[in-house]
Amino acid sequence: MKNFFIVSVTSFVFSSVLWILWHFIDTHILFFAGEGVFFYLPHAARVLCIVYFGYKAIPGLYLGELFGPYVIEPGFYTFPIYITSLISVMSVPLTLSMLNSLGFTLGHTISSPLNRRNYKHIFLITFISAGFNSLLVNLYLSRNNLSYANAITDIDQVLSFFIGDILGTVLVFIFLGLLLKPILKQAQNQ
Amino acid sequence: MYNFIKQSYYVNMNEFYRNIFDALIMLDGLEKDLNIRHFSPNELRVFYTIITQNALNEEGSNITEIVNCSGMSRSTVYKTLKKLSNEGIINLTQSEDDGRESLITLVGNS
Repeated sequence: MKNFFIVSVTSFVFSSVLWILWHFIDTHILFFAGEGVFFYLPHAARVLCIVYFGYKAIPGLYLGELFGPYVIEPGFYTFPIYITSLISVMSVPLTLSMLNSLGFTLGHTISSPLNRRNYKHIFLITFISAGFNSLLVNLYLSRNNLSYANAITDIDQVLSFFIGDILGTVLVFIFLGLLLKPILKQAQNQ
Repeated sequence: MYNFIKQSYYVNMNEFYRNIFDALIMLDGLEKDLNIRHFSPNELRVFYTIITQNALNEEGSNITEIVNCSGMSRSTVYKTLKKLSNEGIINLTQSEDDGRESLITLVGNS
């Protein structure tokens, strides 16, 4: 129970912070204005939290997905995002389930078919989950005649979601590497 | 790199910290394959800024942009660029638009 609480809080904070950061860059930094779809940072939270903490990270991530748009920037999206957020969060468990059913079980040793200590395997999960997310979210939007900020829900949007999720996750990995390097060096020197 | 942490703490870590530890190993593998483990944090910051700038502008970026985006001093950026250039990670060429500026491109992108 204690672990579930810690995981939920960590996932919620991580997801919310990434959404707020992404939203700030997208709307306040002129160079990136409106281009935020091409580097959607919060997808990294979905991948990292579910891969490393397991399915118990899902509630925290889902609340994190809703927190930004409803509390920090109400009205940012023009329609209720309960379903699209759920689809986005579930894209990673869906990927892991699919890989698991194909015999690629997630583990943390070198003999694991999917080793969560190997960044190439994490990129594979990111790649597939970005595909699921872009396809399923846009399928839901088009079936219900909804759109993000009046953008047309078409194949271009599917592709931009796909690229955005992958690039956003890579950027967060790079940022985390940069952030954690001094901490690790300090621990090593002690 | 993680031997110290591994030997001292890994056995006693609870589940949460073990998960974080796995994530750190994953990030370390990324740095190892990029061959940037020996860089200092400041050098890494400049390197990551160059990557980000190159992703946004395939023609490369100039030193002033790297200084502005990284938030590092011009002298630190210059020293790091020289090191990266000597290691064959980046190319420094004179900008066609401004003769005083050098254009930075990642090797393989130019």
